[in-house]
Amino acid sequence: MTDAQVRSSPTPDAEPAPVPLRAGESRDAAARRWVTEHGDALWKFALARTRSKEAAEEMVQETVLAAMQGYGTFAGGSSERTWLLGIMAHKIADHFRRVRRAKVPRGPAISPDATCICGTCRGMFTEKGMWACIAGRWPDLAASDAEKREQAEALRACIDALPPGQSEAVWLRDILGIPPGEVCKAMGLTDTNLWSRMHRARVAMRSCLETKFGLRKETVR
Amino acid sequence: MIGFVRDMVRVLTMPCREHVVLFSRQLDARLSRGEAFGLRVHIVYCGGCRRYREHLRHLQSLGQALAQQAEIEPGLPVDVRERLNAVVARAGKNN
Repeated sequence: MTDAQVRSSPTPDAEPAPVPLRAGESRDAAARRWVTEHGDALWKFALARTRSKEAAEEMVQETVLAAMQGYGTFAGGSSERTWLLGIMAHKIADHFRRVRRAKVPRGPAISPDATCICGTCRGMFTEKGMWACIAGRWPDLAASDAEKREQAEALRACIDALPPGQSEAVWLRDILGIPPGEVCKAMGLTDTNLWSRMHRARVAMRSCLETKFGLRKETVR
Repeated sequence: MIGFVRDMVRVLTMPCREHVVLFSRQLDARLSRGEAFGLRVHIVYCGGCRRYREHLRHLQSLGQALAQQAEIEPGLPVDVRERLNAVVARAGKNN
């Protein structure tokens, strides 16, 4: 598959499939159990993405309410927690769509092709699809705990800069490490949708980190 | 065997723009044996793809580091939990 094909494949934000009722458990009892069993995980996801306690609380409430409404039918395929995180991923993506629409003018989006900061390269590849230039090595992650923290913070900022929908997929797949099949089920994506979304996100994150590491090198000099 | 050779040759003859798509897919799915072997051969002589894969691996480790940082953050605060339970109870009554 070519990059162009990957980019043009549809990535709809379909609602996730609902989860089956546990035998004998009422919907309200289930919702109370979610708060007990998965409240912390939902809160951490929401807070990590929104970085605002108010917004995170709103996200958790909306997620549990949406889960109560969607509770009922479904054929399995993901854990209950992943299902809830999937609903939350949609809520968070919607939240950022609202926030970004409200912000005028929009911040500079990361171009998925702009990976090189050398100034002479425009995009990663030549017209023939070969590397336009070879990026440099990144600072060693294992150098120190401070280095690791700083880099993780840089990654967090790069994830924040991704388009809504991509950042949430990245968080579920590459940060929380949820298996791809479960992420697809939870976010209502096909395998191909997930692959192309992850590919675009990883290219953009790499490009963003490249810029951040490059800037840091320049400041050191 | 024919499939293996066909996939390997396809990977070896595709431009690097398509190799990066496969490197990413390899993190989410199993490539065919021919595709995986083709990529392994390709990076022996392609510095750009080798560096790209190195960066992808770096991103994965960084993702784990970020997950560890996020994990030690405190969980749902007591007041938020109480308000959430109240919202759940209200929603239960309304339905």
